[in-house]
Amino acid sequence: GPGAKGGMKVIIEPHRHPGVFVARGKEDLLVTKNLTPGEAVYGEKRISIDTPSTSTEANGDVAPSTKTEYRVWNPFRSKLAAGILGGLEDIHMKPGCKVLYLGAASGTSVSHVADIVGPTGTVFAVEFSHRSGRDLINMATHRTNVIPIIEDARHPLKYRMLVSMVDCIFADVAQPDQARIVGLNAHQFLKVGGGVVVSIKANCIDSTAAPEAVFAREVVKLREERIKPREQLTLEPFERDHAMVVGVYQRSTATS
Amino acid sequence: MSNIDYLLHESSVGYAIFAVRLQSDTVGARLKEVQDAHTDLARFGKMVQLVSFAPFQGAAQALENANDVSEGIMSEYLQTVLESNLPKGGKKEKSKVVLGVGDRGLAGSVKGAFTGVECETPDTSELCADLLRGLRLHAEKLMKSLQTGDISRAQLGLGHAYSRAKVKFSVQKNDNHII
Repeated sequence: GPGAKGGMKVIIEPHRHPGVFVARGKEDLLVTKNLTPGEAVYGEKRISIDTPSTSTEANGDVAPSTKTEYRVWNPFRSKLAAGILGGLEDIHMKPGCKVLYLGAASGTSVSHVADIVGPTGTVFAVEFSHRSGRDLINMATHRTNVIPIIEDARHPLKYRMLVSMVDCIFADVAQPDQARIVGLNAHQFLKVGGGVVVSIKANCIDSTAAPEAVFAREVVKLREERIKPREQLTLEPFERDHAMVVGVYQRSTATS
Repeated sequence: MSNIDYLLHESSVGYAIFAVRLQSDTVGARLKEVQDAHTDLARFGKMVQLVSFAPFQGAAQALENANDVSEGIMSEYLQTVLESNLPKGGKKEKSKVVLGVGDRGLAGSVKGAFTGVECETPDTSELCADLLRGLRLHAEKLMKSLQTGDISRAQLGLGHAYSRAKVKFSVQKNDNHII
């Protein structure tokens, strides 16, 4: 494919969101720093960058340069990547964070979140489908900051022994009662002031109503779960009739 | 509205029983100040006190207990832990010991086995929910014998074991797709 071919001059710049990077070459690509250099997770392209060493070793030789590998993050395959390119103000995940990821599927997007939070962070990845779950478990054996949880996100109590308090809940569960599912998990595991990032597919909630009306109703439902909405954007042109809603968990009723 | 005397915290490393020393009244549970007290370790540490921490002896026992907890079943091990750490309450409502536990199912199992124990859950008491959230947030610091990272390491092993059992994962039959 175009863009990230070997030998082509590519410059990596940090994105506004810590842990996310942009590869500037023939075209700009969203990338994350590969936690397991040398390995792709789902056949995605990798970009290796030489970081020339500035130090000299004791014997006067120049220390060998180090390589850093980045993985290309396709916004057509990942709603979080689409949301970042769409201009989300705050994704509530950065290096060192604990993230509860609901609807982890095979773990392709999860692997990029694992790159973002890095070795000091943790991703608790919940997926109910056994078929996708196998791939998720496989991915997690290579990335030890991912804890695979094959369980129904509707019943967070079932996996309460596996999860700590988290800084952020990301949800892509595509269920009609998604807001309730997010609320149940937030009450159980989300820190006060923690972030909620929800991908809403209008069709999955109500296929007869206008997408805008569906999104508005979902925002009301999130509010009822003590999640204060902060931003909302559509995922065009990457996804049709999808919105990303970001909110903050407020357990106390007093406003701040 | 009854007070909560003890709390049960189920974690990847074992069971912990805490005694509740101070508790905010239920009316103020949603006030910001009360919430902040639960978030601050120094203040929360004065509200609860560790009575006993019963670690799991190995991965197999941890998995068995994780499966039981997820089904709302009180394992023999948990029963032993509760028996040896909760005071014997009387049969009368007033002399019962109130234990805060995570979910209704487990509360039922506990009440069935101990006549002197009454249970509160996050469903019945917001205060119980907040106290259990506080324990989850500060668990590693409150259980003095634990080192930083102990809980997450145990979560990783237990998460894999629990999930592999769910999908009946087998290394040999990695790709036996039925077409």
